[in-house]
Amino acid sequence: MDRKTALTQYIKQEIMRNPNAKLQENDDLLSAGVLDSLAILQLVAYIEEAFGIKVPDEDVVFENFQSINALSQYLDGHN
Amino acid sequence: MARFLLTHAVTQGAEKHPQHEAIRFAGQALSYAELEQRTNSIARALIEQGVRRGDRVGVYMNKSLESAIAIYGIMKAGGAYVPLDPFAPVQRLSFVIQDCGIRHLLTQEMKLAQVEEIMRTPVKVECIIGLETAIDHRPDVRYLTWEEAYQTPNQAISYSLTEQDLAYILYTSGSTGNPKGIMHTHRSGLSFAEWAADEYGLRQEDRLSNHAPLHFDLSTFDFFAGAIAGATTVIIPEALTKFPASLSRLIADERISVWYSVPFALIQLMEHGVLESRDLSALRWVLFAGEVFPTKHLRELMLKLPGVRFSNLYGPTETNVCTYYHVPEPPVGDETIPIGLPCANVEDLVLDADDRPVGRGEVGELVIRGGVVMKGYWGQPDRNATCFYRRRVFNDFEDIFYRTGDLVQQDENGNYRYLGRKDRQIKTRGYRVELDEVEVALLSHQGVEEAAVYPIPDNQGSNLIGASVILKPGSLLTEADLVEHLNNRLPSYAVPAKIFILDDFPRTSTGKINRRELQAWALQSLGN
Repeated sequence: MDRKTALTQYIKQEIMRNPNAKLQENDDLLSAGVLDSLAILQLVAYIEEAFGIKVPDEDVVFENFQSINALSQYLDGHN
Repeated sequence: MARFLLTHAVTQGAEKHPQHEAIRFAGQALSYAELEQRTNSIARALIEQGVRRGDRVGVYMNKSLESAIAIYGIMKAGGAYVPLDPFAPVQRLSFVIQDCGIRHLLTQEMKLAQVEEIMRTPVKVECIIGLETAIDHRPDVRYLTWEEAYQTPNQAISYSLTEQDLAYILYTSGSTGNPKGIMHTHRSGLSFAEWAADEYGLRQEDRLSNHAPLHFDLSTFDFFAGAIAGATTVIIPEALTKFPASLSRLIADERISVWYSVPFALIQLMEHGVLESRDLSALRWVLFAGEVFPTKHLRELMLKLPGVRFSNLYGPTETNVCTYYHVPEPPVGDETIPIGLPCANVEDLVLDADDRPVGRGEVGELVIRGGVVMKGYWGQPDRNATCFYRRRVFNDFEDIFYRTGDLVQQDENGNYRYLGRKDRQIKTRGYRVELDEVEVALLSHQGVEEAAVYPIPDNQGSNLIGASVILKPGSLLTEADLVEHLNNRLPSYAVPAKIFILDDFPRTSTGKINRRELQAWALQSLGN
């Protein structure tokens, strides 16, 4: 499974708690209220576990988490 | 020039330093002159659309430059602004709109979907400013865009408003039953803002953050105390409030000098905001309110920001802020810090269960009289009759105090200590227990990050005690460990019957722990 799909699935299942939610890769995760402070920490923990990529605190900024695309781009840059 | 309305500070600012930045948002700015002109236009537009003195006008927007224009514009039109939580469910918004009879709404295009839903409910909104196009199913409503509203002439309105006029109504977060609308006048709003501008030595050069949403009264400091000082208020986009590293970067880039928020936001900044790599040299005051700041976290933060002064502000929304405590140095031990001394223009009184003033140093309910006290709850005559304590002065008139519902005790220095809500003192198996004392005991464990304690009614007129905790990352504490920890600190009847270890807590829209929801969940889990 590629990273974008894994992220999308995780967010739908664990954060939105709705496996049938509509979530496109460019959708704004922030203004819709999908992500709150705790969900962001959850997501970071998931990324470290699932992809083995350590996300330092200073990279947990809204530009990198604005959408699944943004997140994926950030992670690609960190391989 | 006299200042008796909250809007006067903006008008005076426009006269004294018109080019000075009043408001900033996402890199854009409004000078005092621009703010004055735009708010005049909005006020005239609202009056043209039928807003009369005392009308309630809804503000349903995400943070933007328009946030400031909306609140001042409404007040200039003689109305009271009613901030509607941009993240609240439609049902709750509809309740608030109907409860206080909002007929005019200021909003934004990005809220279109929710506004459409709201307008399907039995609200009596007749005019909406801020949508680009009319709502299909509501052609009866009058619509204006912000641009159209700005076309209205921007001369000042000569309106005979007084300090007694309603300025804003804040609806409580509703963690107990239906939300109540707390009415504040220009007088009560100014009483707080003027005290704060003076107490914190606010100057024109200051740059205040606005972190709190408009429906939370911390925002009245950010805007109104800031305007009184002629300072700049930097509005923080909601998205940034979820990213401590982004937030700390903004605090540094915008050279914020005075910060005011709930403790939760500060703890997030401390733990994830990489403060060590930010230039926070402009910061001189950190103010916090709304919830107890766990002493161990406060200590850590103060040690991280040695050049900054810290102040604890206390007061229910009904009185905005009524006591304050400047923390003299990083606190030692685990005792919660005091809520401090009464503000100027406030009379403080402590009553026992029979409404008799207690002796100095004794525990009782804090009641408050003075400029900052609300006018009352909107449309709640029964509540308004019971929430005030009246003290007869001779036979001629009464002093009216607001009952805070908080238990306090004055220490030898005159500082009040907050002991908990009157309703946070419960009876269990015949014993009286302070639930907040149990919380403090839980927090004293190094492995505990946050703790919330609540009663679990046992259907026999008594209660069990329940607790939920969030552990520090990596901690392997079990319920049994925590019970042992508490057994060493509390009488046995005060130790919770059940401790849930959770990953997160439900919170209210103002960021406070929603203990009621935790309690409801616990009741469900225990099959009560």
